[in-house]
Amino acid sequence: MKVLKVNPVVLIIINIIAPSMYVFLNGKYLQVFLLIFAGALLALMGRFKSLIAMLAVYFSMMAIYTVTVGSDKFKFIALFFIVLVQSVPCLSLASILVRKYNSAQLLSALETIHIPRVLVIAITITLKYIPTFKREFSYILESMRLRGISFTWKHPIKSFQYFIVPQLFRCAALAEEVTAAGYVKGIDVPTKRTSFFEEKIRILDIAVLFVFVIGLAGGFLWKQI
Amino acid sequence: METNLIVANNLSFNYEASKEGISDVNFTVGKGEIVLLTGNSGCGKSTLLKCLNGLIPTVTEGELSGKLTIKGTDSTDMKMHQLNKIVGSVFQNPRSQFFTENTTAELVFSMENYGYDKADMQKRLKELSDAFGIEKLMDRNIFTLSSGERQMIALASVVTMKQKILLFDEPSANLDYGNAMLLGQIIQKMKNIGYTIIIADHRFFYLNGIIDRVLYLDSGKLKLFCSEADFKNCKYDTRSFNVFSLDIPCHKNSACKNTVSSLKNVSFKNILKDINLELHKGEVTVLVGPNGAGKTTIAKLLCKTYKPDSGVVDTDDLPFFIMQDPDYQLFGTSVINELTLVKDDLDSIKACLDKLGLLPYMHKHPFDLSGGQKQRLQIAMATLCEKPLIIFDEPTSGLDVYSMHNVVEEILKLKEKAGVLVISHDYEFIRHVANRVVFLDEGTIKDNFILSKDSISNLNNIFMHMQEERCNEKVKD
Repeated sequence: MKVLKVNPVVLIIINIIAPSMYVFLNGKYLQVFLLIFAGALLALMGRFKSLIAMLAVYFSMMAIYTVTVGSDKFKFIALFFIVLVQSVPCLSLASILVRKYNSAQLLSALETIHIPRVLVIAITITLKYIPTFKREFSYILESMRLRGISFTWKHPIKSFQYFIVPQLFRCAALAEEVTAAGYVKGIDVPTKRTSFFEEKIRILDIAVLFVFVIGLAGGFLWKQI
Repeated sequence: METNLIVANNLSFNYEASKEGISDVNFTVGKGEIVLLTGNSGCGKSTLLKCLNGLIPTVTEGELSGKLTIKGTDSTDMKMHQLNKIVGSVFQNPRSQFFTENTTAELVFSMENYGYDKADMQKRLKELSDAFGIEKLMDRNIFTLSSGERQMIALASVVTMKQKILLFDEPSANLDYGNAMLLGQIIQKMKNIGYTIIIADHRFFYLNGIIDRVLYLDSGKLKLFCSEADFKNCKYDTRSFNVFSLDIPCHKNSACKNTVSSLKNVSFKNILKDINLELHKGEVTVLVGPNGAGKTTIAKLLCKTYKPDSGVVDTDDLPFFIMQDPDYQLFGTSVINELTLVKDDLDSIKACLDKLGLLPYMHKHPFDLSGGQKQRLQIAMATLCEKPLIIFDEPTSGLDVYSMHNVVEEILKLKEKAGVLVISHDYEFIRHVANRVVFLDEGTIKDNFILSKDSISNLNNIFMHMQEERCNEKVKD
């Protein structure tokens, strides 16, 4: 089966609009719609691993919610997860953005939707930091193993400190390195940036957005009824 | 003068947070010159480079005074993007070198920023890929390339805007001998076609015979040498130009029969084939070989990070692995705390810190230490851990001659209690430290010998061989 190629702009737009809709729409409706929408999109894009991961995370969170919501003592856990679970569909779509497209492609996509340049640079640097963080994290875990400092649930705070502290210190150094890398390559040029990877928005991209909007519109109707 | 591309007049810079800076630096660089910028760690090399590529004052904060003129324009009158169209920077660290993760994206990145249209980008991309012989490397993940390949991408990516002045920050630090020599050849060819090149490095054997001028920084003060010969005759103790002519006595082999770790008929993926290796207590084994030969894989097999596909990795206890970047290995809240995680015995910790000159810093946070101090802290951990095997990954990459000698001393002390395996490209260092040399090439052990007066020629041949392998591959301009 041919997989659907989606313009990154579409994913970005969805990720900007979807969370803000919680203000206007019925939470339950939106939550279910976004899950189905994200699930269908992931399946069409051939991202079955992400799909399974998303469903697994979603339903385990819902399970925790269902178990804890009845008890007064643990209700806070339920509330915590019901808030968290709403971001799962969006986060899984965002993860595709980071994994499938390189930072140059993302930068071009962001430029096409006319976001201010300063913001574009900030977003791109943040997105670039994610894979770097992942790589560094694996080095740190490996080094903890060799030092015999392993993560134990017996001392979660202490264990957490061991791998978060080095990361925090790295952040400062990395931020400077990344900024330098951008600056010496002309990221501050005031003229409009061009794009090598620019992809035209195609009918299919519009179709995806159309389905998304229809779904949201359905939410407004639902609210009326 | 028109012939001088770069003119520095009383250039000074002081950092807000540290004392390392430069003061009253005066020099000129003419068109088509190759300039070596050297000096000990913390002497101000990076500071001067940052002044030249505009990162000072744009990104790094501090107090800048004096005048720096590049191509006739005062550098403070130029914006970063104007300056970087003239000056290309090759950083040592791939994280600062590359903005994207993909080779093609990286090569077009600056052209996109400068607003080239797609046809021009494609044309320039073709020119670059022909000139640097990197067609095969297009559209690949940068982090999966070998160091040599990465260096080529870095070089190509800094001349995309046809910059004619190139700055290199410790380019040899992560390159094997062959790749470093190859870089030397490329630099000379670039000079011949009109590039002006400034290289900041501790090691400069790969530039032997091609340097026009040397800027030697000593605690922020500049000493200028107008020719390579002048620099060679100076009294400064530096790394050497001709590593093979060094007169360094070999160690007596102090190995005992006690094997601390061994690999028997080990194969791993398509990286290693049928490796047999024994590591002994009291012996420093140096693993040499070109980038990508599988040296780090051997270390990771010994650390049980990987499991071999066939064969046996025999170790009693996990080795202590000293990574090249100490930042990944420091978890404590202070130097003392870091070491109590290794061994909870305050007296031996203090004794060990005293020996390594770290006692005054015992209450400091490990991340507040300098690079060299962090490395000594790693060595302190290795000393205290009582593990049977200690592995070093490129411990002297980016070290000046003094720091290198310190590391040599520490390793010689460590081997009294344990077996030591060192992965290194650094010929000078290897000569100082090795008892045994193991040459790994294309996933197999090609040579394994005790380093003695008679076998020095074997070691030299290995290095010559690595150079020939790399430099005979066709290199265009």
